[in-house]
Amino acid sequence: MKYLPLVIRNLGRNKIRSLLTGFAIAISIALVCILRTMPAGLDNIIARASGTTRISTHNEAGIVYSLPYAYLAKVRAVPGVSAAISWNWFGGAVDVTKGVEFANFAVDPDQLAQVYPDWNLPQSAFDDFAKYRNAALVNQATLDQQKWKVGDEVTLTSTVFPVSLTFKIVGAIPQQGNTTFYFQREYLAQALQDAGVNFDTTGMIWSRVDDPGRVGAVMAQIDELFHNSDAVTTSETESSFVGNFFSSIKQIVAIIQIVAGVVTLCIVFIAANTASMSIRERVGEIAILKAMGFRKQTIFATLLAEAGLLALVAGAAGALVAWGGLELLHSKFNAAQPGGMGALTSFVVSGTILVQAIFVSFFIGILSGWIPALGASRRSVAQTLREVF
Amino acid sequence: MALPLSYSWRSMYARGTRTLFTVAVIALVVVAITLFWSLIGSLKRTLVASGSPYNLVVMRKGATNDGSSQVPLEAYQAIRFFEGIAKDAQGNPLVSPELVVQPFFHTASGARENVLVRGVDPVALQVHDEVHIAEGRMFQPSSGEAVVGKTIAQRYAGAQLGKTVHFGTGNWKIVGVLESGGSTFESEVWVDARQLADDAKRSVPYSAFRVRVAPGADMDALARRIEGDQRWSLQAKPELDYYESLMSTAKVLYFIVASLAIFAGMGAIFGATNTMYAAVQARISEIGTLRALGFSRGTILLAFLVESIMIAGVGFAVGALAAALLAVAISASLGGVGLPALTFTTNVVVLRVAPQDLVMPFLLALLIGLLGGLFPAAAAARLRPVEALRKA
Repeated sequence: MKYLPLVIRNLGRNKIRSLLTGFAIAISIALVCILRTMPAGLDNIIARASGTTRISTHNEAGIVYSLPYAYLAKVRAVPGVSAAISWNWFGGAVDVTKGVEFANFAVDPDQLAQVYPDWNLPQSAFDDFAKYRNAALVNQATLDQQKWKVGDEVTLTSTVFPVSLTFKIVGAIPQQGNTTFYFQREYLAQALQDAGVNFDTTGMIWSRVDDPGRVGAVMAQIDELFHNSDAVTTSETESSFVGNFFSSIKQIVAIIQIVAGVVTLCIVFIAANTASMSIRERVGEIAILKAMGFRKQTIFATLLAEAGLLALVAGAAGALVAWGGLELLHSKFNAAQPGGMGALTSFVVSGTILVQAIFVSFFIGILSGWIPALGASRRSVAQTLREVF
Repeated sequence: MALPLSYSWRSMYARGTRTLFTVAVIALVVVAITLFWSLIGSLKRTLVASGSPYNLVVMRKGATNDGSSQVPLEAYQAIRFFEGIAKDAQGNPLVSPELVVQPFFHTASGARENVLVRGVDPVALQVHDEVHIAEGRMFQPSSGEAVVGKTIAQRYAGAQLGKTVHFGTGNWKIVGVLESGGSTFESEVWVDARQLADDAKRSVPYSAFRVRVAPGADMDALARRIEGDQRWSLQAKPELDYYESLMSTAKVLYFIVASLAIFAGMGAIFGATNTMYAAVQARISEIGTLRALGFSRGTILLAFLVESIMIAGVGFAVGALAAALLAVAISASLGGVGLPALTFTTNVVVLRVAPQDLVMPFLLALLIGLLGGLFPAAAAARLRPVEALRKA
């Protein structure tokens, strides 16, 4: 510690160089943080889903293949299922020329509260949702995105069904990062009936199992029920469903990870360049320090500390800038994109990403200083002094 | 009088390690940006190659793609006889009614993806004249046969010519492989429309129509007539515009490229500035000598700028080469990059670094060299010859 002033002094010697290096590292670390939020956003969605005992039951052939609505009653009767709702993709858009900006679904209100206890909504919100035919429960993220508030009336035009529906928002779901919008199936059914469209199917059934130990057995039982029907089902846990849903972006995620690695490698070279420049300039001085009796290890340690300190400070600054910048930018990005590109746009720099980034930066600093510092501390005093003077 | 280029080149060469570090930094930035830029480019080429300038896509008003559209059968029967539609040799109108369904397919590693299955009539091959059967033959109607796009055969388990694959609710025998010059049709499976409607239990048998406009006929007038018909609520878009609109899924990719260009570019500029300052520092006496010999400030400025741009140029060359190799490796190991499409399906894009994908990374590298060299070069030009020589 007593050498800290010396380390700081040395960093201040060539201010332009230290600043340039610091900026370069900070900016690169900020970039790595931003890139890392993308796979992390996807991981978070999957991780969040793994904590529930919800089951998705859908057509074995695909999500766009429907199930008879009558399946809901049968699923509800399966022992172990404590609650179940049907779930239909409405594909509603505020402005059809802009496309679907958030996910919106028609659901059954009667058991919604039991299927989604993790929404942390007061019972009164669920009661209002069940009471008013045109009620909508909307995620806070969607409200922020569209600048809506509870009590507003909003109209969505379906890109799937030939109807437009006007809803009254009765509650905000506080859950993070999901732009979703739920309304009553009955409201859609009546509108379709008026339009002369028969509506007796559902896209999916979400049910909840009380006993986590029985999830597998319940899923098998549901699928067995419909095994010989003409709409064969696949039931899976919520985390499995979410993981599968996003499988088409996994390769993009892999490429993002490669690029984040490339940028990290960039930082190594930036830091190594500086370390080697500043140490090479100081060979004479280092020889004098040695001649004065400073030990090899001490010199090595101070040189490493110099590189490490610069990288640490710059890395921390970069990580904080990324965090702050993304918080500002946050609500501006459209999070519901087709097929789940939206899963990559959570843009939340989590604590893990911050800590990792700062640690990686410090580690790179040390690593980049290692070879030049080792070389400088090992050089023979006599030879160096002879060369320099 | 200007200093010869070889002066800058040799100077760059003289300080091996430092130059190497900076070259590496610029090269890595170029690798990162080229990978994403060419991914966008590859997607764009896939979509731009799709569609014909003579075709209209007719969908339900409000639908953004044929995967979420439904059109009534009566509309098809009426529109077929509209004026301005091309006809085949037998006089049948070239209108292709199509049904799009998105069933699950499984990749070799077991991942589940939605694939675009297009139910078509035999007329489809004439309307989509860029699509042809490369291997095998076209399916026979109502026979449980299917033809698959080239990338489908490469990506999914059991989807190869001659095999029987299970999707939807039935089994389908693959009798042919489609090629379309790298367009998005190669990520599709084509089967008989009626059979697909049965399989998927669709009450409305068609999602959209593709209409080929007769040579010399007015495409806009035909589109207006279809859209203006009060019996149905339809929209008609030129096919090229339609596929261009599907690029909107690349929004996230554009965001990544922009952040790479800004952040990584700035980082590299700082790195290059650092190196060039050191270069000026190390050569103060040399600069003094040159000035004393009568070389002007402008000449010195130029020489250092050229040196910095040369470093960036070498970095670009190394980076571009590495990116091209990496793209080949990624394509080979991932078997094409899956991108989510607006149709809720997976669009498989073969990642390739095309020459035009290198223009943007090249300009960025040039900018890094220019801005990175600017301040150090100015500092070198400002040196007063007498002082510079005395310092040394």
